Amino acid sequence: MTPAPGPPEPPGPGGPPHTGPGGSPHTGPGEPGSPLGGAADDREPEERDAGLARERTALAWTRTAIAFGALGGAVLKVNVVTGLIILAMTPMVWQLGRIARSDSAGAGLSAVSTTRLRLITVSIVVVALLSLVVALVGRSAPGALR
Amino acid sequence: MSWSGRWAWLWPGASAGEDGDQGSEPDPRFTFANERTFLAWSRTALALVVAGLAIVQLLPPFPGVPAGRHLLGVPLIVLGAVLAVAAYSEWVRNQRALRRGEPLPRSVMPWILAATIAGMAVISAVVLLVSAIR
Repeated sequence: MTPAPGPPEPPGPGGPPHTGPGGSPHTGPGEPGSPLGGAADDREPEERDAGLARERTALAWTRTAIAFGALGGAVLKVNVVTGLIILAMTPMVWQLGRIARSDSAGAGLSAVSTTRLRLITVSIVVVALLSLVVALVGRSAPGALR
Repeated sequence: MSWSGRWAWLWPGASAGEDGDQGSEPDPRFTFANERTFLAWSRTALALVVAGLAIVQLLPPFPGVPAGRHLLGVPLIVLGAVLAVAAYSEWVRNQRALRRGEPLPRSVMPWILAATIAGMAVISAVVLLVSAIR
């Protein structure tokens, strides 16, 4: 479980504070083709290319999809219908992660993320409500996971 | 006040144009980090829901405390739902601050989580003690 982070690490003194609209990671000073092109690029790899951050984010989406799957599998043992509903959400979450990997390079990241994160939030609230119903009206099965 | 205006604090939009917040697109690494934080909180919310459900469904009943399992499990499930919505709200606030180049707002979510877990620990201890005495 990832703890609540502080503010993201700012770019180093050699790196640009913002890469501009579209988030192209290859437009900073020191890059060929930039106004300051030709200078040696002594920035960290992470500062030169946002691909690593994108990769970490894609992995975080995968972990979230696995968490949905694990929850669905656990609920399946208690209530089949609810478990199947939650399990059906797993491919959707995984697909949202794939969108994060592919689409976010071009469009504004905030706009792309808003819809996806809203979907995830709604999914979790739905899962919680379903779990609440199962907890309140479902028959308990002590030892069901044995 | 319209419905959307009344609930805007709960369901705000983060992207330019949704709330008139233009700003500029921040460094993609910051946006990705913000998104990962949201996902981490989402997994925390899911874990709380699982824990609550497991307590209610899988634990044997506490002798002498008939509602003991629900007393422990239901708040965890509700907290999971609250945490998911709060995580989205937090992501929006952080993204807005990033777009405007402002300092990131302080998060109350760790405090909420810590307080709730501490409260649940106390309730668990009371339920177990009462169950052991009876």
